[in-house]
Amino acid sequence: MGDFFYGLTDWLRTTSLLDAAFWIETTGFNRLLVENFWGVPIAQVLHIIGIGAAFAATLMMTLRVNNMAGTSRSIPEVSARYVPWIWWGLLWIVASGMLMLWAEPVRNMVNGVFWVKMALLVVTIFVTLAYQKSVRSAATVGGAGWNAGGGMRLTGWFIIILWCLIMAHGRWIAYAPV
Amino acid sequence: MASYYPEPTNIWESIEYSSLGTSIAESLWAFPTLETIHVIALVTVFGTIAIMDLRLLGLAGNKWTVLEMSQDTLKWTWAGFILAAITGTLLFTSKASTYMVNPYFLVKMGLLALAGLNMAYFHFVTYKTVNDWNASPVLPSGAKFAAATSLVLWIAVVFCGRAIGFTLGIYY
Repeated sequence: MGDFFYGLTDWLRTTSLLDAAFWIETTGFNRLLVENFWGVPIAQVLHIIGIGAAFAATLMMTLRVNNMAGTSRSIPEVSARYVPWIWWGLLWIVASGMLMLWAEPVRNMVNGVFWVKMALLVVTIFVTLAYQKSVRSAATVGGAGWNAGGGMRLTGWFIIILWCLIMAHGRWIAYAPV
Repeated sequence: MASYYPEPTNIWESIEYSSLGTSIAESLWAFPTLETIHVIALVTVFGTIAIMDLRLLGLAGNKWTVLEMSQDTLKWTWAGFILAAITGTLLFTSKASTYMVNPYFLVKMGLLALAGLNMAYFHFVTYKTVNDWNASPVLPSGAKFAAATSLVLWIAVVFCGRAIGFTLGIYY
């Protein structure tokens, strides 16, 4: 595993991402974030708050599909409560993530762990979109007594695992040598 | 086997130089792995608390009664909290004396205690009359105050948690 990330980071150093990262370091906004001691920590706090909102909303949706929580409400009602929080939360996460990337471009852009995290994020977004669409349509057709099948229940937990992997990679960015 | 650590002069150094503390500190993967689990547990705690607090404030989830929302979220909040406490304690053992002189760590512990007191007061005093306002979209000011206080305290806990990482080693 370590060899894979080492090799990936080594390759990233040969790409134009390194020049792009160096260019970001010359921008005024980068200076503003770097020269203010609290710039990066505050961006990270905003990032964690967004993850908390989106992850908990995802968890509640998964629990409802698995009949483990929220069973007093229908799936469309639970979706109406939590799905907007997942997507607005994701937007918040991306925006605060951009702040962190702009503050420390080399540490992020020339880092294999960061790009695996981004790949996992893209996979999570597509799986979540497909999952939400299929759950909503099946629940609407099935009516009040509808129960999700085994595949749909497992997909919910798969999305939770993807989120945990994204968070794990987010933390390990700090420990990967650049 | 010879120990590379000096003789402890206080309880925090005793914890830090214990076999558990030194094992975590010396391992390449233990600290980041514990931190990862700590973060996953923390976002679960914060996220589920925020869902309940937003309901108490009447800002989201008003179709749920307060009792229903509490049943949905509370067990996950506690599961996340227990996991965060265990991993947090293990992280602490690896650098106990450094954490104990860090003001952000001490403030974080104080904020956690305040969050606990806020929750206890809400649970044992305000919540006693929950059947009167359980289904109401507009809740008593005591419940709203507890929810707003909880949100502020937990955001401050997250801030202090991050601040610790940026100030570790500055204070002696």
